Amino acid sequence: MTGRDRLPTAVLLAFGLVALEEARKLRFGSIARPGPGFFPVVLAAAFSLVCLVLLVGAVRGRDEDAPVAARLGWAKIVATMAALFVYALVLEVVGFVAATFALLLFFFRALERQRWPLALAGSLVTALLTYLVFKVWLHVQLPAGPGGG
Amino acid sequence: MDLLHGLTYGLAVSLQPGNLAACFVGVFVGTLIGVLPGIGPVATMSLLLPITFTMSPTASIIMMAGIYYGAMYGGSTTSILVNIPGEAASVVTCIDGYQMARQGRAGPALGISAMGSFIAGTFSVVGIMLLAPPLTSIALRFGPPEIFGLLLLGFTMVTYLTAGSKLKAVAMALLGLLLGTVGLDPISARPRFTYGSVTLADGLGLVPIIMGLFGVSEVLLNIGAGVEQEVFETRIRGLLPSREDWKRSAGPIARGSVLGFLLGILPGIGAIIPTFISYALEKRLARQPERFGKGAIEGVAGPEAANNAATGGSMIPLLTIGFAPNVVMAVLLGAFLIHGVQPGPLLIKEHPDIFWGVIASMYVGNAMLLVLNLPLIGLWVQLLRVPYGILFPLILIFCVIGVYSESSNVWDIVVMLAFGVLGLLMKRFGFEAAPLVLAFVLGRMAEESIRQALLMSGGRLSILLTRPLATAFVAAALIVVVLPVALPPVKRLLRTVPVEDVA
Repeated sequence: MTGRDRLPTAVLLAFGLVALEEARKLRFGSIARPGPGFFPVVLAAAFSLVCLVLLVGAVRGRDEDAPVAARLGWAKIVATMAALFVYALVLEVVGFVAATFALLLFFFRALERQRWPLALAGSLVTALLTYLVFKVWLHVQLPAGPGGG
Repeated sequence: MDLLHGLTYGLAVSLQPGNLAACFVGVFVGTLIGVLPGIGPVATMSLLLPITFTMSPTASIIMMAGIYYGAMYGGSTTSILVNIPGEAASVVTCIDGYQMARQGRAGPALGISAMGSFIAGTFSVVGIMLLAPPLTSIALRFGPPEIFGLLLLGFTMVTYLTAGSKLKAVAMALLGLLLGTVGLDPISARPRFTYGSVTLADGLGLVPIIMGLFGVSEVLLNIGAGVEQEVFETRIRGLLPSREDWKRSAGPIARGSVLGFLLGILPGIGAIIPTFISYALEKRLARQPERFGKGAIEGVAGPEAANNAATGGSMIPLLTIGFAPNVVMAVLLGAFLIHGVQPGPLLIKEHPDIFWGVIASMYVGNAMLLVLNLPLIGLWVQLLRVPYGILFPLILIFCVIGVYSESSNVWDIVVMLAFGVLGLLMKRFGFEAAPLVLAFVLGRMAEESIRQALLMSGGRLSILLTRPLATAFVAAALIVVVLPVALPPVKRLLRTVPVEDVA
């Protein structure tokens, strides 16, 4: 487990330093008349400092206490995220029902290995039902897509 | 308006058909998502926020509050039957609740947690009614230094009460504050960190961040780890606890109610920590502490009462000061603001219908939950048999709908996905989400109050130490830092708190 914290704290430190550099471009003002840059600069500096302390601790091999360390199936996680990303991009182009149907079909068939008829029917019914409940019944904003549906 | 008058007025408001229906929907949905592991009140309340656009402010807040305390009832069911907490505040209930179920005593375990929750919920509503009006008059004297002192106390509590690394929690709180500065500067309206993006100019949205960190990341963790939930296969009969059960549970319920309520008022506590303290307390007080962990009903009754009472207590800072003491209240604060209502000391005068209506609706809702829960347990058991492979796509679709419908901006879905990945990595490496979200929500308030305080004092931070209330808050924050070091028992007690917070 030693050194497990090194990478994440290094990434956070890098983020903090970039944020500090960017925040310094804003007008800082003075302590008596703080400007837009005052709060971000103070925060980014404090954040970077805390991350530096964490990183030094991690490099010395002293990990902070152990959290969930279950082995994760990354393939499935990446597939899910990729599908959702594509879904977000096409949502307004093809409309809610079509996009949701395709997304659910991918989850049920490709990830969960349901049989074709079940996966098809389940995806179609769920996509239509959520559309009816949220858009028609509750009047929630959903992207219409071509042909209004 | 005196108390009795206020309460009868509130009851009249909460019994109007629209508000009654909102209350019912709230507690029903709350119980439902409480039962389902992996989706908690924070994500659900954010999801339903857009639906409340067309409702009256009173009905919206009644529904949102109902989801929160409804979830506290539902969470225990899953803990007892499946040994997985339905939501984070029911973690402790797993210990003895599941053991009771294995010994064929699932019925009394479910019964005592529903009734203990009811008693505690009612107690906390009475507490709000008595405490909120006097606190309101104190809150009227709050200026920027007092607000900043209170925020300082809140951040200190939320970071010091986490079980994991305190330093990591501090880092996450600072990150949350930093993310909160994206968008227009609240005082000069200059854009900050927007890089020409329209989505970023409005600031990062609270709903996408919460849905990402609490909804999507939880789903990713579950599908990655391949959870299999097993419902305890036994016929549940006899939900009513025996006289012996009642005799054992009366003390724990009473203590859990008081403890949960008082702790709930404090910033940064939430509903989870009181359950751990209640469990530890009951074990210490018990004549045969060795029964704990082997199906002691006290270990179910006390913590279940504590988490319900805490939900009531945490409403107090929101209703009287307009300050969100935890993430759930932050979402509720958002619901108030969407309807153009500013919760705080003026609420009771300007919107007595909301103030008293919401409080009275919590009486009504607690009664509904008791009636609803006992007969519907069979239904919840069926629900738990739905495989995760069917459940997770639905949860993800709901998250997408919630985020999109709030802003009609697909880029907010992308923001949600990004925070979903961030949340997963945070869980993997032991960083907590609660300090980040709370700091993000309160960041604007923190920045405005410190900048105004500095303007008032001509740049002297000592203004925080020259006004009695502000000094008291800063001193309390210092005590929180020093106390665990000075008193080892306090430190040990706090160390038992789990990694997840208000999920």
